[in-house]
Amino acid sequence: METVSLKNINLSSKIALLKELGYDSDGEVVLDIHGNKILDRYLEIPVKVNNMMILPGSEIIIDDNELSLSKYFEEFGDVL
Amino acid sequence: MSYDPVESVAKGTIEGFLNWGEEFIKELAIKFKDKKLAFIQDEKTISRVKEQYRSGELSFYKEYIENKEMLFLLKMGLTLRSLERDNDGERKQNLRTKIFNNYQVKGLHIAQFVENGSLNRYIGILIDDIISLVNFKKDILNILENIEKHVLFVKTLDSETNIIQQATTAITLHFPMIFIISGIASAAISVKNCEEKLKELLPDYSIKRISEGEKETLFFKRILI
Repeated sequence: METVSLKNINLSSKIALLKELGYDSDGEVVLDIHGNKILDRYLEIPVKVNNMMILPGSEIIIDDNELSLSKYFEEFGDVL
Repeated sequence: MSYDPVESVAKGTIEGFLNWGEEFIKELAIKFKDKKLAFIQDEKTISRVKEQYRSGELSFYKEYIENKEMLFLLKMGLTLRSLERDNDGERKQNLRTKIFNNYQVKGLHIAQFVENGSLNRYIGILIDDIISLVNFKKDILNILENIEKHVLFVKTLDSETNIIQQATTAITLHFPMIFIISGIASAAISVKNCEEKLKELLPDYSIKRISEGEKETLFFKRILI
């Protein structure tokens, strides 16, 4: 699977990408279309746009950290 | 396969960051929905996490530990060690905080126990006296599940008197076969300074000190009469 790094992408492009995928942002955190904060699937903390990973598997948006990513691999296997 | 946005998708830069065009974003979204790509931050994070899954040390632990949550914490310990090796202090501290927030101090101590190499050394001591595989597995799980009774993690502000008091109290109370005192950086100096006094106070135990970089660990093994 290809991976695209969001590290050096500007905020407006990341927000546009989120909107294309059916999400939104207030410029800081990821929101759903109703304006609710999207929480990291494993840590239950709001996901910041500048630290998000968007991974396959029912569109999983998680915080960029080793704990969440390890949990993701445990749930979905080595898909990346 | 990794994708380099610098080479392939740059349409311009704003304050040093790349700007994606509308059509390109649509293409990416279609690829994502087709499960052909994922959006990440740093390729290194992915490879670091994968590296732990494939490590021989983890495979060894899997042979003797069945508890999945425990194995996950051991994996986090290996990841902390990897971050330490790469001198990535910021990510390491971030991971420590996340482990603490989700698994409390006990979970963090289990991960630290793996990170500083104490678990594999503890297993080495157990192997010296192995009676049966069942007991061996039980002993490994026992130290992990009761880590606060078997391991003293010395903090920077702990005085030598405090370390000696905590260690002797824990040993008197639980009389463990193996007791470990571990410290990093300035706490390591305190651990080292306590060795001689503890030798005097704990005649029923043999002591082995292991120094590694900024870490000092004292292993106390009960002398069997």
